[in-house]
Amino acid sequence: MNRNGLAVAMFAGMILPAVAQDAPGKINLQDPDLVMVDSSVIPIPLEIFSSLDKLGMQDWAKQVENRTILLDTNRSRTAMLFGLVVSDGFIAVQAQDKEAVKRIGREVLRLASSLGVAASVEEHANSIVNSAGTGDWAVVRVELDKTRQTVLKKMAELRDDELVDLVTLGGWLGGTQALASVLQGNYSIEGSDLLNQPDLVKQLKEDFNKLPARSKRGKVFAHVAKTLDQLELLMKTDDSGAISEGKVVEISLSTNNLVEAIYDI
Amino acid sequence: MTYKPAALSILIGVAGLCGAPAMGQGDTDQLGNKVDEVILDDIKLAAQQTALPFLKGENPFILRESSWSGTLEPGKARLIQVQLFRRNEYHFWFNVPDRRAGLNLNIYDANGEIVDAENVKYESSNIVSLVVRPGVTGIYYLRVSLQTTIETPQRWSVIYAYR
Repeated sequence: MNRNGLAVAMFAGMILPAVAQDAPGKINLQDPDLVMVDSSVIPIPLEIFSSLDKLGMQDWAKQVENRTILLDTNRSRTAMLFGLVVSDGFIAVQAQDKEAVKRIGREVLRLASSLGVAASVEEHANSIVNSAGTGDWAVVRVELDKTRQTVLKKMAELRDDELVDLVTLGGWLGGTQALASVLQGNYSIEGSDLLNQPDLVKQLKEDFNKLPARSKRGKVFAHVAKTLDQLELLMKTDDSGAISEGKVVEISLSTNNLVEAIYDI
Repeated sequence: MTYKPAALSILIGVAGLCGAPAMGQGDTDQLGNKVDEVILDDIKLAAQQTALPFLKGENPFILRESSWSGTLEPGKARLIQVQLFRRNEYHFWFNVPDRRAGLNLNIYDANGEIVDAENVKYESSNIVSLVVRPGVTGIYYLRVSLQTTIETPQRWSVIYAYR
């Protein structure tokens, strides 16, 4: 822990030796008696961008897209678009692009309305737009995460569990596309390991494959399944702990093609 | 120095008085009824209150809205799978309503080996936290367990922040 962190920790409580009592030094992850918590939390793009920025300034502005979002009656596609647009919001925050964040705040509300959850996110969406106007990026960041979480919670309450998975997948896809694109333009062995997410891809793929057929109507969902298969093979480090530049390019192309397909009607 | 926010005590007290141990069993964050949700939100809120001092200053942690939750029996443990990224620092908070409860919070790598981390304890034993800097990007496992200092199962919540 650095000096700042230590000071805060000492104020908040007491730092104890690294290993608390009663903690086994090793656990057998294959032990059938282990009880895993059956709910997953997918990292938001900012978590990953935060790590990459520690290697030096990145050109996030280049990743901010201004796409026209056309909606149809396919709610599954709208759910994925919602996840993508929120991830676009995180990218625009990283680029500190006020106009993009304001536009995304308005799109978030429009998409939430289409999904029937606008009332729950209206306050957060307005806060995103207003805080972007004043350049209060810390608030925008918090409100984007709250928007995402509120929509997931509301959908779960409405028993729209399929849409929860698709929003999550869309958000992860948007962040991964941006990350791969930045790494493609500014490759480093150190940065490449951020794409080492085989277990996460596997989990997203399993969640997607479990969705009922009615939630995967439309050709774009066949594309989703195929892309996840590809990414599961690509998003793992080699023996040296890196993901090769060639694989980064493939990940970038693969995710970009899928994002374009989701936006296209 | 220890941390003793009044709001935290009140929230934990309210959660405890509501009889959290008598609530439904099983690990999920999509609870079946509104009473459960209210209590769970209180437990999460108490964890968030404890996290507040770490979210300020020159190099603050950024708190995620997402969380994990469930019910835990004394002497039992749960594992939470998390994807962490090298160069980031993560802070996890784990709490239950009963102030007499003793908790363990540890983190393991993808091979099941315990990872060096800094455990932070607070004035009350029903909340603990852990700071970890992952050496590699990948999957880790948080292990939460409830000591046998109490007899009643506890609703629990885990939140996290990064920087």
